[in-house]
Amino acid sequence: MRPQFKATVTELAAQDERIVIVLGDVSVYMFKDFSERYPKRFYNMGICENTLISVTAGLSSQGYHPFVHTICPFLTERSVEQIKVDMCYNNFAGNIVTCGATFDYAWDGATHHAYTELAILRMLPNMEVLHLGSNREVDALIRTQYNNSHPTYFRLSDHPHAIETNLEFGKGTLLKNEGAPVTVMTAGPILGNVMEACRDLPVNLVYFHTLKPIDKALIERFRDTEILVVHDAYGLHEAIAEVPALRMHYHGLPDAFCGWYGTVHDIRKRIGLDPAGIRAAAQALLARRQSPAVRPLARTGSER
Amino acid sequence: MNELCKKIRSEILSISHESGHGHIPTSFSIVEMLCAVYQTMRHDPKRPDMPDRDLFVLSKGHASLGFYCVLAGHGYFDFEDVHAFGAFDSKFGCHPDRLKVPGVEASTGSLGHGIGLAVGMALAAKIADSSRHVYTLIGDGESNEGTVWEAIMVATNLKLDNLTVLYDHNHSQGRCLPIQNPAERFRAFGCQVIETDGHDLEALKQALATPTERDRVRVVVGDTVKGYGCATLAENMYEWHRRSPKAEELNKLMGELNAAAV
Repeated sequence: MRPQFKATVTELAAQDERIVIVLGDVSVYMFKDFSERYPKRFYNMGICENTLISVTAGLSSQGYHPFVHTICPFLTERSVEQIKVDMCYNNFAGNIVTCGATFDYAWDGATHHAYTELAILRMLPNMEVLHLGSNREVDALIRTQYNNSHPTYFRLSDHPHAIETNLEFGKGTLLKNEGAPVTVMTAGPILGNVMEACRDLPVNLVYFHTLKPIDKALIERFRDTEILVVHDAYGLHEAIAEVPALRMHYHGLPDAFCGWYGTVHDIRKRIGLDPAGIRAAAQALLARRQSPAVRPLARTGSER
Repeated sequence: MNELCKKIRSEILSISHESGHGHIPTSFSIVEMLCAVYQTMRHDPKRPDMPDRDLFVLSKGHASLGFYCVLAGHGYFDFEDVHAFGAFDSKFGCHPDRLKVPGVEASTGSLGHGIGLAVGMALAAKIADSSRHVYTLIGDGESNEGTVWEAIMVATNLKLDNLTVLYDHNHSQGRCLPIQNPAERFRAFGCQVIETDGHDLEALKQALATPTERDRVRVVVGDTVKGYGCATLAENMYEWHRRSPKAEELNKLMGELNAAAV
């Protein structure tokens, strides 16, 4: 998704002189042509994520539309207070774009994992939170959201899906409606695994790229079903829970650091977020749905 | 003491007494530095949103009472307005809110944030080829925060010679993590450093009128006394850090302040 991010922003910058790029020494080579075309609007500012956010807010205060970009946990979890105070409380907008979603840098260990930032940023007033899953979403949603009055968080991944989804901000996508008693809800790049897992299962499938604001109307349509939230980060489960009194179940991250290496696929497999693990979770809920009293599933995906 | 600076301190004492909120010593230490900024920078108190105005960011937001009284003293609003300091529906909170108070460019309160915002503002002026100058005031206690030094590194690397950092060297961190020789440190980071008496208004204005060296961030290190103007505050700065004076204490402090030569 990073090349798409760069392509979209470079194209926009040709028409909008208020676009400024702030990098934390990541994706610098990729932005080489941007830096040559717009040297006054390109800053590889330093490995100082807190200050990158503050400077971004300061640029926004003067009418610019900055994009600040570096690795996910460092730009977000490390800088939560700068995002909260300098952007959200001050009502200075700007765009935070991260790479290294969840386990993209699996081989680097848990320091480079991103578990919490979608959930945290969702709770900050004024924020828009996007867990983008495909290149089409990156292109469409950057174009519609980059220059509004809200701080916007764009989470990119190196492992996008290629599934066609509704590209409208704040809207979910109904990918499968079987009139089934179980609805799987997911977000972001893991949709590829979820689709594969659920393709021939009698479940409904709903997808979101926007976690804040969440598409409550779409969720409401499935309130009479058992909802299985499948997500490789915190944030979607909490967003869906904004709709009261749903029967929700969560299949996602364990309450533990996923301290293995390898690839994103290795870790997803280990915690049951590969197609087989997701399928098993959906089948378990379907089986329980047959029994008269359905109780929430035990937290799954937590074996180590 | 300059007459306006004395008036501002007197209002700070009265408002603190009435409101029950404090931070008097830290407000007292910055009065002359803030007055120097507002008597030097390009601004119009009747048009706080003037497009080509210079910008000031109070990074040590807990000195808001001093900031509000300096703004009042320069015509942004009446001192009387600030007497609602800290009240439920007041515009004037114990940390400044840019969306409520005319002349406040950034909402601050968490230490080490305002300077980074000011760097972004100064960079924006550079990108726009604007002659705008950006001022920010940081505290010595605040400078325990690593983000202060991140922001200085970024600003010097970006050659932001349209940025002036005023450093309130009021020695408040002597009991904790003191920053020895701040001027030397700022020079080591590549800044143009001017050291001055932080309570000499004319010297401060002269420092701010000094042209900035090309491509260099300017830092004015003001040597200040926390609680300057009242011996009781200056000699007991820790005790008075957040205190508000009772009636008899107010009389005593006013007496000490009034005894200061104008």
